[in-house]
Amino acid sequence: MLQIGNGLIIGSIYALVALGINVIWSIADVPDFSQGSIFVVSAYIGYFTVTWVKLPFVLALLAGMCVGSLMAFTFERFLYRRWRGAGRVQLLCAIALFFLWSNVVNALWTAKAKIFPAYLKGSLLGFSYMRLVVVAVAVILFVLVYIFIMKTKIGKAIRAASQESEAAQVLGININTVNSVVFMLGGALSGAAGVLVSPLYAIFPTMGDLPLLKALVVVILGGFGTVGGVLICGLGLGVLEALGAGYLSSAYQHGYAFIILIVVLTFLPKGLFGKM
Amino acid sequence: MFGASRVAIAVSIIILILIPQLASNYVIYVVILAMLYAILTASYDLLTGYTGPLSFCHAAFYGLGAYTSAILTLRTGMSFWLAFPITGVWVFLFAAAVGYPALKIRGHYFAVTTFFFGHFVYLFLLNSRKLTNGPLGLRGIRPPDSILGIDFSSLNASYYLVLFFGVLIVVFLHLFVKSRIGRALVSIRENEDLAESIGINTSFYKVLAFSISAGLAGMAGSLFAHFFRLLHPSTFAWMISEMIVIMALVGGLGTLIGPIIGAGLVTFFLELVRPAPELRFILLSIMLILVLLFEPKGLMGIFWRIRGEK
Repeated sequence: MLQIGNGLIIGSIYALVALGINVIWSIADVPDFSQGSIFVVSAYIGYFTVTWVKLPFVLALLAGMCVGSLMAFTFERFLYRRWRGAGRVQLLCAIALFFLWSNVVNALWTAKAKIFPAYLKGSLLGFSYMRLVVVAVAVILFVLVYIFIMKTKIGKAIRAASQESEAAQVLGININTVNSVVFMLGGALSGAAGVLVSPLYAIFPTMGDLPLLKALVVVILGGFGTVGGVLICGLGLGVLEALGAGYLSSAYQHGYAFIILIVVLTFLPKGLFGKM
Repeated sequence: MFGASRVAIAVSIIILILIPQLASNYVIYVVILAMLYAILTASYDLLTGYTGPLSFCHAAFYGLGAYTSAILTLRTGMSFWLAFPITGVWVFLFAAAVGYPALKIRGHYFAVTTFFFGHFVYLFLLNSRKLTNGPLGLRGIRPPDSILGIDFSSLNASYYLVLFFGVLIVVFLHLFVKSRIGRALVSIRENEDLAESIGINTSFYKVLAFSISAGLAGMAGSLFAHFFRLLHPSTFAWMISEMIVIMALVGGLGTLIGPIIGAGLVTFFLELVRPAPELRFILLSIMLILVLLFEPKGLMGIFWRIRGEK
């Protein structure tokens, strides 16, 4: 029970990062590795907002989301946009950005782990409030993104562009705006995930590596086009990992996602939902 | 042009042969490192440059090779001269087993899977304490046994050993990419569906290129293990795979000679910034972005541009 709960909590972090990467991938055709560094930078921004500026956690979360979406916007506007349609170069650029920022964070704030001060005390059914906040905020963000994509005009434009980019442009959808919006959305989600997870564990320069890899697995397994599919896959992966760590071996906790990925792709090369 | 490039290659091989007689131990050490990276980038080029699939796990095969060779010689007392070819064949077979399902997926999915695979191997090296001694690293690896009266524990002999196998591997890769199979690989890179439609068994050739490239990286790892005699999982982490990608791109993918030049230049560049280790990878990744922005064909692209304009 405790393991399933913890799995759901870490799974909702994977799902948040995966949702941003999913939307970006379906529009810009690039697995945006730089979301991993946005995750880390936002965690540090959140940490400094709470410890230096002494603002409450909610504002730290907002600061992390703003910085995240600003970073993603900048990457898209000045780098990815140049190579639209050349997926290979975009992917190399994404890797370069991820590589760059992990090392920038390391140089700026050293590899020594920082401890995020607890902002809430107490627990419910064995789960601290801070852990429950992660799930609550993740669910709220998922609902907001769902409403944004399904009910607003720009959301409709995003859905159109993800299905048929050229036809969408012919119908007067500004593809540049759509790209900017999805990258900012992705950056905000990764930023939120980074700030949310940091009070539960420590903050350190490589903290984004594993959530990024898990999120990419979630995207590949979950396929594109459904907000719900991402959520289910993210939570499912979190629970499977927690159960695997509890009952099989905790040393390979982070390898299970890879095994699942290889097994699923061997039998279903198009992913679980087959919409690739 | 053909004559000029042959002269250039001959001159650089003569310089490489003369270096141990002229240079300091430090320079010899750096050149050995550069040659090991050159084997890695050249073999990486076979897969990503000639065949097409973008891979981010080359350092994983390098690490598998290094650990396999070290463990074989440490545990069974096997000679390096036997462990070296066994390592190459084992990494080749291992890569074939991984590559067969993985290469069914195309494009970004394959790239992401290789990235994850690289991380998985790193985790394995770090966590299998009984086999790899985990984060403490493997120590006490022996240098290659003497053969024909040459003692391979000396720096100069190690240098010539790495140079010998480096040249052998590069010549093999050169002949391979010029062969019928090499042309089949290029046709897969240019248009996989078309290549398949004219009767090329694309999945077979992709797995072949992947496995040969991995096997050669494993042999480079074996040379590394018996030269440095100390192994740690972090030597084979994903950052090193990225470094190999950057070296190959700086030189120019799909040219074989470009990635070798890139490996040499980037290794010396990294030595120049050694006083500031935290800047090394920052400068490398900026280098990659600059290459993507201004000359995606790398140094070879600049070279062709100069020739074309003349």
